[in-house]
Amino acid sequence: MDLSLELFPRHPKGLRLKNPIIAASGTFGYGNEYADMVDATRLGAIVCKGTTLEPRPGNPQPRLLETPSGLLNSIGLQNIGVGAVIRDKAPLWATWPVPVIVNIAGETVDEFGELARRLDGVPGVAAIEVNISCPNVQRGAQEFGADPEQAALVARAVRDATSLPVIVKLTPNVGDIVAVARAVAGSGADALTLTNTLRGMAIDTKRKRPVLGGITGGLSGPALKPVAVAMVYSVYKAVDVPLIGCGGIYTASDALEFLMAGARAVEIGSASILNPDAAVRVIDGLGQWLIEQRVTAVTEIVGIAQGEDRSGVAFYEHH
Amino acid sequence: MKRITAPVISNRSLMPETYLLEVDAPPIAAEARPGQFCMVHCGEGYFLRRPLSIHRAADGLAFWLRVVGRGSAALAGLHPGDKVDIIGPLGNGYSVRPGARSLLLVAGGMGAAPLAFLARKALREERSVTLVIGGRTRTQIYPVEMLPAGLHVVVVTEDGSQGEKGLLTDFLPGLVRNADQIFSCGPVAMYRAMRQIVVDRPVQVSMEAWMGCGMGACYACTTLTRQGPKQVCRDGPVFDIQDILWDEI
Ligand SMILES: Cc1cc2nc3c(=O)[nH]c(=O)nc-3n(C[C@H](O)[C@H](O)[C@H](O)COP(=O)(O)O)c2cc1C
Repeated sequence: MDLSLELFPRHPKGLRLKNPIIAASGTFGYGNEYADMVDATRLGAIVCKGTTLEPRPGNPQPRLLETPSGLLNSIGLQNIGVGAVIRDKAPLWATWPVPVIVNIAGETVDEFGELARRLDGVPGVAAIEVNISCPNVQRGAQEFGADPEQAALVARAVRDATSLPVIVKLTPNVGDIVAVARAVAGSGADALTLTNTLRGMAIDTKRKRPVLGGITGGLSGPALKPVAVAMVYSVYKAVDVPLIGCGGIYTASDALEFLMAGARAVEIGSASILNPDAAVRVIDGLGQWLIEQRVTAVTEIVGIAQGEDRSGVAFYEHH
Repeated sequence: MKRITAPVISNRSLMPETYLLEVDAPPIAAEARPGQFCMVHCGEGYFLRRPLSIHRAADGLAFWLRVVGRGSAALAGLHPGDKVDIIGPLGNGYSVRPGARSLLLVAGGMGAAPLAFLARKALREERSVTLVIGGRTRTQIYPVEMLPAGLHVVVVTEDGSQGEKGLLTDFLPGLVRNADQIFSCGPVAMYRAMRQIVVDRPVQVSMEAWMGCGMGACYACTTLTRQGPKQVCRDGPVFDIQDILWDEI
């Protein structure tokens, strides 16, 4: 049973992962915060907290709350800044037997390019993941990822600034995800992550005010899963780069849905906040499933649900 | 720091909407220091653990919790024998100077939970300890008969239904004079008022925050300090009163 895969077949150097389970940005810190609770070196890869050019203190409190089926967060990209990542974190990562991917966030296209340039060639940095859910300050704070053209500009700026593999992480807050995915894949991205959080908010009816200090926030967890699975499913046939599924994965069965829909790997976010070893349990569960199903390599099931055979449909319609 | 699936020993309501939850978790209890907390899983269908400060760590690990939402309501509904998934102890805890003879503990409402733990430990170390507990009314005051013997207790209620009548902070000026060190747990509004009163004494405050992971990974519980943004879960929850940027949080 082989869980390994090549994440960036289009990239000259590529990146081989020992399994398709990746810790998602913002939920796994800089990779060692949960060290007492979980052996993070078992993961396929780790994506670090979203990184900006300068350190950011983040949004006012409160920043994170539970919803009936997920989490709503407005952390506001609190992070130590790219300089401290390169100086204090990357040297540590360079000694780990698990690749660390740096997630970057900018307010202008140029900032994304500058971040990628600074990270290029830094030992310990295996790839870059571009968070295009950030507000574009030059476009009335609309998310870069909401517009195929802006999204493509960001992808191109990052691609041109680094020789590292580039993942672009898409926002689900769009009308036509396929159009954004095509534009980004056509601008040099080596892989796409689908998806970031859905925009949402909650009102405190006692105070008659929004609950979150950031007013609105991002919805993650179980509520996001069907949305993200549908996006993976519809983007799979439209682009020729690998997809990384993300949204509401808590169990191996959740991960399998994404893989079968067309994701080559998956990221686990909110589940790690609840249980630091959630991702490792998904790895174990996935391995177990492959053995039980006599599947020799995990790559064999990627996109398998795209097939024409709908013989299973009747069963679900009656249950 | 350990993760334990702990059986519930007992869970009783001491006062309206508050519960004393006791679980069997010896590895956590053995490590626990006053001011530390645990992240407690509320069961199937809950997506964040709830931070509960440690109330007692001898024969069983005890939490004193108030029902404020879905999660704490689920914990209030636990029965003896039920299992709870707990991570702890977490955070820094209070630090008492070896030479501090006389301690003043200032509790706003539920703040008595960790301070009762601190009081027990300090009394065993033969320090002199005063605990001031303030609340709106008597049903918000920790049952005084459950506090350890030898502790000097002052109760203050806004409506005068128990102890002195008034605001807790009205009674502090008289009490701080004899204190070598002050330890507090309560709402931010209380800490703000205390700042004016305790200027020349070392004060440690426990910050309440909405937490995510409890281990410094998710940046949900950040507070602002003179040393920059800090995580309440990992860098705190106990901070020096001088370090918090009270006008910015
Ligand atoms: C507390 C928190 C912080 C996050 N921070 C980031 C971030 O800095 N950059 C980013 O691209 N995504 C961030 N995300 C989004 C996650 O990486 C992930 O895409 C999203 O939560 C959906 O996956 P999940 O349902 O498994 O959590 C954050 C999510 C949470 C809950």
